[in-house]
Amino acid sequence: MKPNFVQKVTNWGNFPIVEKEMKSEDSFKNIRDFVLNHNEVIARGNGRCYGDSSLGEHIFSTKRLNKFISFDRLNGIIECESGVLLSDVLEISVPQGYFLYVTPGTKFVSVGGAIASDVHGKNHHAEGCFSEYVIDFKLMIENGDIITCSREENSDKFWATIGGMGLTGIILSAKFKLKNIESAYIRQESIKAENLDEIFRLFEESESWTYTVAWIDCLQKGGNIGRSILMRGEHAFQHELPENLKKNPLRLKKKFEPTVPFYFPGFVLNALTVKIFNFLYYKKQSKKEVKSFTDFETFFYPLDFVNDWNKIYGKSGFIQYQMMIPKETGKEGMKKILETIANSGNGSFLAVLKLYGKENPQAYNSFPFEGYSLALDFKVNSKLKKLIDKLDDIVQEYNGKIYLTKDSMSRSSLTNYLKNVQSSKFVSLQHKRIINNS
Amino acid sequence: MIVLGSTSEVAQAFVEKALQEGEKFEKIYLFTSNKETTERFARHIDVKFLQQSEVIELDLMKPIDYNQLDYVNSNLIFCATGYLGEGTEEGLYDNKNTERIIDINYGKLVPLMNYFAQKFESKRSGTIIGLSSVAGERGRQSNFIYGSAKAAFTAYLSGLRNYLFDKKVHVLTIKPGFMATKMTEGLPLNPKLTATPKQAADCIFKAYKKQKNVAYVLPIWAIIMMIIRNIPEFIFKKLKL
Repeated sequence: MKPNFVQKVTNWGNFPIVEKEMKSEDSFKNIRDFVLNHNEVIARGNGRCYGDSSLGEHIFSTKRLNKFISFDRLNGIIECESGVLLSDVLEISVPQGYFLYVTPGTKFVSVGGAIASDVHGKNHHAEGCFSEYVIDFKLMIENGDIITCSREENSDKFWATIGGMGLTGIILSAKFKLKNIESAYIRQESIKAENLDEIFRLFEESESWTYTVAWIDCLQKGGNIGRSILMRGEHAFQHELPENLKKNPLRLKKKFEPTVPFYFPGFVLNALTVKIFNFLYYKKQSKKEVKSFTDFETFFYPLDFVNDWNKIYGKSGFIQYQMMIPKETGKEGMKKILETIANSGNGSFLAVLKLYGKENPQAYNSFPFEGYSLALDFKVNSKLKKLIDKLDDIVQEYNGKIYLTKDSMSRSSLTNYLKNVQSSKFVSLQHKRIINNS
Repeated sequence: MIVLGSTSEVAQAFVEKALQEGEKFEKIYLFTSNKETTERFARHIDVKFLQQSEVIELDLMKPIDYNQLDYVNSNLIFCATGYLGEGTEEGLYDNKNTERIIDINYGKLVPLMNYFAQKFESKRSGTIIGLSSVAGERGRQSNFIYGSAKAAFTAYLSGLRNYLFDKKVHVLTIKPGFMATKMTEGLPLNPKLTATPKQAADCIFKAYKKQKNVAYVLPIWAIIMMIIRNIPEFIFKKLKL
């Protein structure tokens, strides 16, 4: 049996699927050989991006770069290899009283991926993107050299790599800051909003909260458009906690994690079931406002609780459409987007609305800027491309932007904003698609 | 804990599993022929578990100075040393390949194992875990050089278990079946029959705690191997396995 590294590879949305070479190595010498011997190399972490950004001709998987390098427990500075997952970081940092400054909605992304996507979370308006807390990282560049990139050293590469979707090289390891926490719990308030006006008002009222996010029922029409639940939270101090949680505030009990055993048949998710789900989700909370303490896993990563949940979308896969519209016209734009979706009947199982703060002008390849973003999951079917086209029109009209980490279908004018990453060595499927279409 | 073959992902996963389960080791001795990656693992377990370890470079293909290993002592040895080499079709008549497979999986490995077994015997305690292979259960045309070395290693472990039984030392033989590791990356393995290093480590840890003698990593392999062992030779020789 001769090794054949060509295999089927796909990201979290199971769309698109490619058959390409994928290899993983932990020896730097072998990684260097891989880089030198191939053109069109792209690094891939845990494949938790949705679209085609970590797919390419020759994929280098960082899954074997999974070691911690150091943890300064006094100052909360951690250094690890790029394939280490955020969940691995939390596993050792939370019991020590540290949390990630910025975390996306899943803890199963790799540290390298978090930098390449410059991920953001529910606290963007307050604490910015992941890159704000990155001290430095090691990058293997085109000629196989390993360089250290920070704000002072190789700063051009540092900023190009942040949000650079892997097109500047292979991130090998990174050092970043963690934030102090007193407990593993979040003091949470969830408030129901009848419509878009109310949810936008709630967002603006909640700007002093560290974490805010809203779940939207995207199938509502007319006066109910934007019916939603806003969730806002703060890391709970030890003294705030109810008595039963006070004893062991930094340790959570292990929970049962169900796994989706197989790809659901295509008919399971349809306009009706999505409508029922959204209806139940909204009605589950009977009161207008609920205050509670919830553990960080439930607050930040509600979907991680079900392993392989992407399989519920069936074998044809799904895409996540995440776009952003400037703050001034945010409400107007979102209204149009939601109307278009509701009229299409192509409902989204999950729709998340979020207000973003100011962008970091140095991190020019990052996605967020001051405005509102909506993230929507759509099952891939024959009608989807048409809907995406319509949504792209609206995003374009309002000077919006598409998040590359989720993208696999949008028009290139909305996504083609990467600077200083042109290279014949590091090329992704996404980049080729964008270049070819522009 | 003494680890032979410390770059093995299964060995590393087992070390992590044991530490996660709260096993205490004064020190972990990480034997390896690849110092660079093993040192990274040593740092990793120090960061993650505050576990002290020492990396000891050892190449089975070179003479070993046992005097220098005098201080290495523990109650648990995990042997993941192994070398797959070229399969039979490509490497049967390549003597260098053949010798290396035999030496690393058996010939040079056994004296090293014996060295530690003797220490365990004199203390009258401890556990020896050896990773053998299902390939050792019956010679098949695709990789019988590797298979025969593993067969010898399996027989060695079984004899050692018998020999050390009344000396209060336990020997556990692991037969992993397919595993998704560096060794097998790029090979067309059926995912249903393939265990991840983490799965393997969980299973090995359980077998270690239960003082099992022989354990397959995935239960299905016990059935597959039972069938393979029982195919009559006059049929077996005609099969393309």
